[in-house]
Amino acid sequence: MPKIIFVSADGVTREVAAGADQSIMQAALAAGVPGIVAECNGAAACATCHCYFDPAYAACVGEIGEQESEMLDFAASERTADSRLSCQVRVMAEMDGMTVRVPALQ
Amino acid sequence: MTSAAPVISDVAYQDLLNDPYPIFKRVRDTASAVFVAAANLTLVTRFDDIVKIERDPVTYSSDNPTSLVNKVMGPTFMRKDGAEHATGRKAIEPSFRSGTIKEHWTPRFAEISERLINSLSGAGEADLFHALAAPMASLSLMEMIGFKEMPWETLALWSQFLIDGAGNYARDAEIERKAMEAGSGIDAAIEAVLDHHRAHPNPSILSSMVHADPPMPIEEIRANIKVIIGGGLNEPRDAILTLTLGLLANPAQKESVLVKPELWPNAFEEAVRWISPIGMYPRRVTRETDLSDVMLPEGLQIGLCVGAANRDDRRFSNPDMFDIFRPRQSHLAFGAGAHFCAGTWVSRQTVGKIVVPMLFERLRNLRLREDAPPLIRGWVFRGPVSLPVRWDA
Ligand code: FES
Repeated sequence: MPKIIFVSADGVTREVAAGADQSIMQAALAAGVPGIVAECNGAAACATCHCYFDPAYAACVGEIGEQESEMLDFAASERTADSRLSCQVRVMAEMDGMTVRVPALQ
Repeated sequence: MTSAAPVISDVAYQDLLNDPYPIFKRVRDTASAVFVAAANLTLVTRFDDIVKIERDPVTYSSDNPTSLVNKVMGPTFMRKDGAEHATGRKAIEPSFRSGTIKEHWTPRFAEISERLINSLSGAGEADLFHALAAPMASLSLMEMIGFKEMPWETLALWSQFLIDGAGNYARDAEIERKAMEAGSGIDAAIEAVLDHHRAHPNPSILSSMVHADPPMPIEEIRANIKVIIGGGLNEPRDAILTLTLGLLANPAQKESVLVKPELWPNAFEEAVRWISPIGMYPRRVTRETDLSDVMLPEGLQIGLCVGAANRDDRRFSNPDMFDIFRPRQSHLAFGAGAHFCAGTWVSRQTVGKIVVPMLFERLRNLRLREDAPPLIRGWVFRGPVSLPVRWDA
């Protein structure tokens, strides 16, 4: 199982073993990572699972969807080039060691 | 220890309508799920339990072929799970996108709001229910759906009749007749504009539905438009009134928001937490399960009381108070899980950034009337049904 490293806004890190059939949001919720709210439970409708992904892993993180991109405009913390809705990113074996930064506000 | 849901039988239905919060508190303090005889339903009222339920659609299904909503409206995606629900939801998404909201709906809704507020500004007093909130919600929903213009009262009545029909557990024949009549009115209004939307793609919901891939079948268009009319009118209406009331009743908070407009989003979220327009919605238990020490049998209908969860004192301190300064924390006014309200962002924009700020800006010294207090009612849907105010004309 790939290990994902979640980093909170105040710098606290937490390593999570993620299942391959999960989204990053589900892996975070299952491990109780603070700062990911996920009100819509993965429907890309609430923008409360926003995270910043390490650009070095862009290839396995994949392309952003149209609806996802529009929804990110509503995110409570600043949207950057690394922003994704973590519910729309599938866990991949190649993500082992990838860092995901959790924003201060959702 | 796990046991069957306790029963509360000494509460009258009228008490739920007048002020459900003390009853909600009693239910919350009794158990995770309680059968309330007056409601003829097992109610779930704690914040964490509702979140847990909404994360488990396999055990707690929205699908209920025998529901009154399906009977009154037809096969709607509100009463579906998984892929079937997602397809319906995706078909309406284009109308609710951030770009569409900002570029298309915001200017139109600002125009409607301006027109309504200008037309009443000389009067010096009004009941904001009929003078502003109901017409605002109706006219903007009309545009969003893509209907031809009609009197705001027509859509408002259809909405009311559908809601009454969907809550007609007593099977009152007159209520059923009115709901069916509203249904045929809506079918005719859809028919009248469908060809236009097919020929001219645009941001409206009807256009999104006919241009979805695959296009939504006509019987689903009819049913889902009815759901949108039933749910999309009273929520923004009630949110406008509740936010206005919360601020008028708490002058210090009102002053703060007027000098610091960046507080409007907090004020809006607090208003819908304080008095949630949709107070309860149903789910069906698909297999015997243990919900925080209460055994729920297969097939049981449960009512998720988000209006109660939003005042759960395990989560919110002083939950009965309207306080725009409370620490930021998610609430359940827009539901949770896959059915999370599609209109959330339109509503945040329209109510919290356009209508209510404009109202306080244009009507000088807006205030409640001591001789005519506001009236708030309901538990399934709850909101002010009368909000008489005065201002310096
Ligand atoms: S969980 Fe709601 S957008 Fe990802």
